[in-house]
Amino acid sequence: MRTTLLCLAFAALSGCTVVHSVSLPAVPGQPGQDIFVTAGDIATPHEVLGLVQVHRAGVLLFGNIDVIGTDLESGFKETLIPEVKKLGGDGVVRVRYHMTQYTPWARVLGVLFFFAPLPSQVTITGQVVKLKAG
Amino acid sequence: MRLVIFLVTLALLSSCNAVVLGVRLSSVPQTDNTMFLSTGTSPRKFRTLGFVQVRGYGQEWGGYGNLGDAQLDGTIHNALAKEAARMGGQGVINIEFLDENPSTDVEKAQRAYNTVASTLSGSPQIETKDRYVTVTGEVIVFLE
Repeated sequence: MRTTLLCLAFAALSGCTVVHSVSLPAVPGQPGQDIFVTAGDIATPHEVLGLVQVHRAGVLLFGNIDVIGTDLESGFKETLIPEVKKLGGDGVVRVRYHMTQYTPWARVLGVLFFFAPLPSQVTITGQVVKLKAG
Repeated sequence: MRLVIFLVTLALLSSCNAVVLGVRLSSVPQTDNTMFLSTGTSPRKFRTLGFVQVRGYGQEWGGYGNLGDAQLDGTIHNALAKEAARMGGQGVINIEFLDENPSTDVEKAQRAYNTVASTLSGSPQIETKDRYVTVTGEVIVFLE
Protein backbone atom coordinates (compact mmCIF):
# COMPACT_ATOMS: atom_id res chain seq x y z
CA MET A 1 0.00 0.00 0.00
CA ARG A 2 2.85 2.33 0.90
CA THR A 3 4.44 1.62 -2.48
CA THR A 4 1.18 2.45 -4.24
CA LEU A 5 0.92 5.75 -2.38
CA LEU A 6 4.52 6.52 -3.22
CA CYS A 7 3.84 5.73 -6.89
CA LEU A 8 0.71 7.92 -6.81
CA ALA A 9 2.63 10.84 -5.35
CA PHE A 10 5.43 10.29 -7.87
CA ALA A 11 3.02 10.29 -10.80
CA ALA A 12 1.12 13.31 -9.52
CA LEU A 13 4.35 15.26 -9.28
CA SER A 14 5.70 14.04 -12.59
CA GLY A 15 2.73 15.18 -14.71
CA CYS A 16 4.12 17.96 -16.84
CA THR A 17 4.31 19.71 -20.14
CA VAL A 18 7.39 20.53 -22.17
CA VAL A 19 7.26 23.66 -24.33
CA HIS A 20 9.73 24.82 -26.98
CA SER A 21 9.33 27.81 -29.25
CA VAL A 22 11.26 29.85 -31.78
CA SER A 23 10.74 33.47 -32.69
CA LEU A 24 10.67 34.21 -36.45
CA PRO A 25 8.79 37.46 -37.00
CA ALA A 26 7.71 38.10 -40.61
CA VAL A 27 4.61 38.73 -42.70
CA PRO A 28 4.15 35.68 -44.96
CA GLY A 29 4.18 36.63 -48.63
CA GLN A 30 5.20 40.26 -48.17
CA PRO A 31 8.17 41.32 -50.30
CA GLY A 32 11.10 43.36 -49.00
CA GLN A 33 11.77 41.60 -45.74
CA ASP A 34 13.98 38.83 -44.44
CA ILE A 35 13.10 35.17 -45.06
CA PHE A 36 9.55 34.38 -43.94
CA VAL A 37 8.36 31.01 -42.71
CA THR A 38 4.72 29.95 -42.44
CA ALA A 39 2.94 26.69 -41.75
CA GLY A 40 0.18 27.78 -44.12
CA ASP A 41 0.03 29.09 -47.65
CA ILE A 42 0.38 32.55 -49.20
CA ALA A 43 -1.84 34.40 -51.66
CA THR A 44 1.02 36.41 -53.17
CA PRO A 45 2.12 35.15 -56.62
CA HIS A 46 5.24 33.08 -56.24
CA GLU A 47 7.54 30.62 -57.92
CA VAL A 48 8.18 27.29 -56.23
CA LEU A 49 11.91 26.64 -56.00
CA GLY A 50 11.71 23.20 -54.46
CA LEU A 51 11.18 21.14 -51.37
CA VAL A 52 13.48 21.22 -48.40
CA GLN A 53 13.99 18.99 -45.41
CA VAL A 54 16.52 19.83 -42.74
CA HIS A 55 17.51 17.53 -39.94
CA ARG A 56 19.83 17.99 -37.00
CA ALA A 57 20.64 15.06 -34.78
CA GLY A 58 22.78 14.84 -31.68
CA VAL A 59 22.72 13.96 -28.02
CA LEU A 60 21.88 15.67 -24.77
CA LEU A 61 24.86 15.31 -22.44
CA PHE A 62 23.80 14.80 -18.82
CA GLY A 63 20.22 14.94 -20.09
CA ASN A 64 20.40 18.68 -20.64
CA ILE A 65 23.40 19.92 -22.60
CA ASP A 66 22.47 20.17 -26.26
CA VAL A 67 25.94 20.29 -27.81
CA ILE A 68 25.02 20.35 -31.50
CA GLY A 69 21.74 22.23 -31.28
CA THR A 70 18.77 20.00 -31.90
CA ASP A 71 15.95 22.35 -30.92
CA LEU A 72 13.55 24.48 -32.97
CA GLU A 73 15.80 27.54 -32.61
CA SER A 74 18.79 25.78 -34.18
CA GLY A 75 16.72 23.91 -36.76
CA PHE A 76 15.02 27.01 -38.10
CA LYS A 77 17.68 29.70 -37.65
CA GLU A 78 20.92 27.81 -38.18
CA THR A 79 19.88 25.31 -40.84
CA LEU A 80 16.57 26.03 -42.59
CA ILE A 81 16.92 29.78 -43.19
CA PRO A 82 20.56 29.62 -44.44
CA GLU A 83 19.48 26.82 -46.79
CA VAL A 84 16.59 28.92 -48.13
CA LYS A 85 18.98 31.82 -48.70
CA LYS A 86 21.35 29.49 -50.51
CA LEU A 87 18.52 28.40 -52.80
CA GLY A 88 17.63 32.04 -53.49
CA GLY A 89 14.21 31.81 -51.88
CA ASP A 90 12.20 34.51 -50.13
CA GLY A 91 10.46 32.16 -47.75
CA VAL A 92 9.14 28.75 -46.84
CA VAL A 93 5.48 27.75 -46.93
CA ARG A 94 3.64 24.73 -45.50
CA VAL A 95 6.41 24.15 -43.02
CA ARG A 96 6.14 21.11 -40.73
CA TYR A 97 8.49 20.43 -37.85
CA HIS A 98 9.16 18.08 -35.00
CA MET A 99 11.81 18.00 -32.30
CA THR A 100 12.58 15.49 -29.59
CA GLN A 101 11.15 16.63 -26.25
CA TYR A 102 12.04 14.88 -23.01
CA THR A 103 10.08 15.26 -19.81
CA PRO A 104 11.99 16.58 -16.78
CA TRP A 105 12.02 13.03 -15.37
CA ALA A 106 13.69 11.67 -18.48
CA ARG A 107 16.28 14.44 -18.15
CA VAL A 108 16.90 13.49 -14.53
CA LEU A 109 17.51 9.93 -15.70
CA GLY A 110 19.85 11.40 -18.31
CA VAL A 111 21.87 12.96 -15.49
CA LEU A 112 21.94 9.74 -13.45
CA PHE A 113 22.87 7.60 -16.46
CA PHE A 114 25.25 10.21 -17.87
CA PHE A 115 27.28 7.53 -19.66
CA ALA A 116 24.33 7.00 -22.04
CA PRO A 117 23.48 10.45 -23.52
CA LEU A 118 19.89 11.02 -24.65
CA PRO A 119 19.44 11.06 -28.44
CA SER A 120 17.84 14.23 -29.72
CA GLN A 121 16.83 15.56 -33.13
CA VAL A 122 14.84 18.16 -34.98
CA THR A 123 13.36 17.78 -38.46
CA ILE A 124 11.78 20.54 -40.54
CA THR A 125 10.19 20.22 -43.96
CA GLY A 126 8.70 22.83 -46.26
CA GLN A 127 8.40 24.28 -49.74
CA VAL A 128 10.82 27.04 -50.71
CA VAL A 129 9.26 29.88 -52.68
CA LYS A 130 10.38 33.05 -54.42
CA LEU A 131 7.92 35.90 -54.66
CA LYS A 132 7.16 37.17 -58.15
CA ALA A 133 7.82 40.85 -58.78
CA GLY A 134 4.76 43.06 -59.21
CA MET B 1 -20.94 -21.82 -29.47
CA ARG B 2 -22.72 -19.30 -31.68
CA LEU B 3 -22.86 -16.89 -28.73
CA VAL B 4 -19.11 -17.24 -28.12
CA ILE B 5 -18.36 -16.51 -31.78
CA PHE B 6 -20.70 -13.52 -31.64
CA LEU B 7 -19.01 -12.17 -28.50
CA VAL B 8 -15.52 -12.72 -29.90
CA THR B 9 -16.49 -10.94 -33.12
CA LEU B 10 -18.00 -8.10 -31.13
CA ALA B 11 -14.88 -7.81 -28.99
CA LEU B 12 -12.62 -7.83 -32.05
CA LEU B 13 -14.67 -5.16 -33.78
CA SER B 14 -14.83 -2.89 -30.76
CA SER B 15 -11.28 -3.36 -29.57
CA CYS B 16 -9.41 -1.58 -32.33
CA ASN B 17 -10.87 1.88 -31.97
CA ALA B 18 -9.55 4.68 -29.82
CA VAL B 19 -11.30 8.02 -30.15
CA VAL B 20 -9.80 11.19 -28.71
CA LEU B 21 -11.94 14.31 -28.54
CA GLY B 22 -11.10 17.92 -27.77
CA VAL B 23 -13.33 20.91 -27.14
CA ARG B 24 -13.90 23.31 -30.02
CA LEU B 25 -11.32 25.89 -31.07
CA SER B 26 -12.14 29.45 -32.19
CA SER B 27 -15.10 30.21 -34.45
CA VAL B 28 -14.81 32.36 -37.59
CA PRO B 29 -15.58 35.19 -37.29
CA GLN B 30 -14.32 35.22 -33.75
CA THR B 31 -16.95 36.39 -31.28
CA ASP B 32 -14.76 37.05 -28.26
CA ASN B 33 -11.36 38.52 -27.44
CA THR B 34 -9.65 35.32 -26.38
CA MET B 35 -6.59 33.82 -28.10
CA PHE B 36 -7.52 32.80 -31.66
CA LEU B 37 -6.86 29.08 -32.07
CA SER B 38 -7.31 27.28 -35.37
CA THR B 39 -6.12 24.21 -37.23
CA GLY B 40 -6.53 26.27 -40.41
CA THR B 41 -5.33 29.69 -41.50
CA SER B 42 -6.11 33.14 -40.16
CA PRO B 43 -9.34 34.89 -41.19
CA ARG B 44 -7.46 38.22 -41.25
CA LYS B 45 -4.05 39.52 -42.36
CA PHE B 46 -1.38 38.54 -39.90
CA ARG B 47 2.27 38.63 -39.01
CA THR B 48 4.03 35.44 -37.98
CA LEU B 49 5.84 35.70 -34.65
CA GLY B 50 7.22 32.19 -34.43
CA PHE B 51 6.53 28.53 -33.89
CA VAL B 52 5.75 26.41 -30.85
CA GLN B 53 5.91 22.72 -30.07
CA VAL B 54 4.31 21.42 -26.88
CA ARG B 55 4.52 17.89 -25.51
CA GLY B 56 2.11 17.10 -22.72
CA TYR B 57 2.93 14.16 -20.48
CA GLY B 58 0.67 12.36 -18.07
CA GLN B 59 -0.39 8.96 -16.82
CA GLU B 60 -3.55 6.95 -17.17
CA TRP B 61 -4.47 5.22 -13.90
CA GLY B 62 -6.56 2.11 -13.71
CA GLY B 63 -7.74 2.63 -17.27
CA TYR B 64 -9.91 5.67 -16.63
CA GLY B 65 -8.14 8.13 -14.34
CA ASN B 66 -5.87 10.75 -15.86
CA LEU B 67 -3.02 12.55 -14.14
CA GLY B 68 -0.81 15.17 -15.74
CA ASP B 69 -1.24 17.05 -18.99
CA ALA B 70 -1.64 14.41 -21.67
CA GLN B 71 -4.99 15.66 -22.93
CA LEU B 72 -5.64 17.67 -26.08
CA ASP B 73 -7.62 20.38 -24.28
CA GLY B 74 -5.02 21.10 -21.64
CA THR B 75 -2.16 21.04 -24.10
CA ILE B 76 -3.82 23.36 -26.62
CA HIS B 77 -5.84 25.70 -24.43
CA ASN B 78 -3.29 25.94 -21.61
CA ALA B 79 0.29 25.25 -22.62
CA LEU B 80 0.13 26.29 -26.29
CA ALA B 81 -2.05 29.37 -25.70
CA LYS B 82 0.09 30.46 -22.72
CA GLU B 83 3.32 30.19 -24.71
CA ALA B 84 1.72 32.12 -27.59
CA ALA B 85 0.66 34.85 -25.15
CA ARG B 86 4.18 34.93 -23.69
CA MET B 87 5.55 35.50 -27.22
CA GLY B 88 3.12 38.41 -27.64
CA GLY B 89 0.77 36.52 -29.95
CA GLN B 90 -2.94 37.03 -30.47
CA GLY B 91 -3.52 33.67 -32.04
CA VAL B 92 -2.13 30.29 -33.07
CA ILE B 93 -2.93 28.98 -36.55
CA ASN B 94 -2.15 25.80 -38.48
CA ILE B 95 -2.34 23.86 -35.22
CA GLU B 96 -1.45 20.19 -35.61
CA PHE B 97 -2.00 17.68 -32.85
CA LEU B 98 -1.31 14.05 -32.12
CA ASP B 99 -2.28 11.91 -29.17
CA GLU B 100 0.68 9.57 -29.45
CA ASN B 101 -0.67 6.52 -27.65
CA PRO B 102 -4.42 6.56 -27.00
CA SER B 103 -5.96 3.55 -25.26
CA THR B 104 -8.74 1.51 -26.81
CA ASP B 105 -11.85 0.76 -24.74
CA VAL B 106 -10.71 -2.82 -24.28
CA GLU B 107 -7.29 -1.74 -23.00
CA LYS B 108 -8.92 0.67 -20.55
CA ALA B 109 -11.34 -1.99 -19.33
CA GLN B 110 -8.51 -4.47 -18.93
CA ARG B 111 -6.45 -2.06 -16.84
CA ALA B 112 -9.49 -1.22 -14.71
CA TYR B 113 -10.24 -4.92 -14.25
CA ASN B 114 -6.63 -5.74 -13.29
CA THR B 115 -6.60 -2.85 -10.82
CA VAL B 116 -9.85 -3.95 -9.17
CA ALA B 117 -8.82 -7.61 -9.17
CA SER B 118 -5.48 -6.86 -7.52
CA THR B 119 -7.21 -4.68 -4.92
CA LEU B 120 -9.75 -7.40 -4.09
CA SER B 121 -6.99 -9.99 -3.79
CA GLY B 122 -5.34 -7.94 -1.06
CA SER B 123 -2.31 -6.63 -2.93
CA PRO B 124 -3.56 -3.44 -4.60
CA GLN B 125 -1.66 -2.39 -7.68
CA ILE B 126 -2.93 0.34 -9.95
CA GLU B 127 -2.09 -0.31 -13.59
CA THR B 128 -0.68 2.78 -15.24
CA LYS B 129 0.24 3.84 -18.74
CA ASP B 130 2.40 6.77 -19.80
CA ARG B 131 0.54 9.15 -22.09
CA TYR B 132 1.86 11.75 -24.51
CA VAL B 133 0.22 14.46 -26.60
CA THR B 134 2.18 16.62 -29.04
CA VAL B 135 0.85 19.90 -30.44
CA THR B 136 2.51 22.38 -32.83
CA GLY B 137 1.33 25.76 -34.06
CA GLU B 138 2.26 29.07 -35.71
CA VAL B 139 2.00 32.08 -33.39
CA ILE B 140 0.62 35.23 -35.02
CA VAL B 141 -0.52 38.79 -34.39
CA PHE B 142 -3.28 40.34 -36.48
CA LEU B 143 -2.40 43.30 -38.69
CA GLU B 144 -5.91 44.71 -39.02
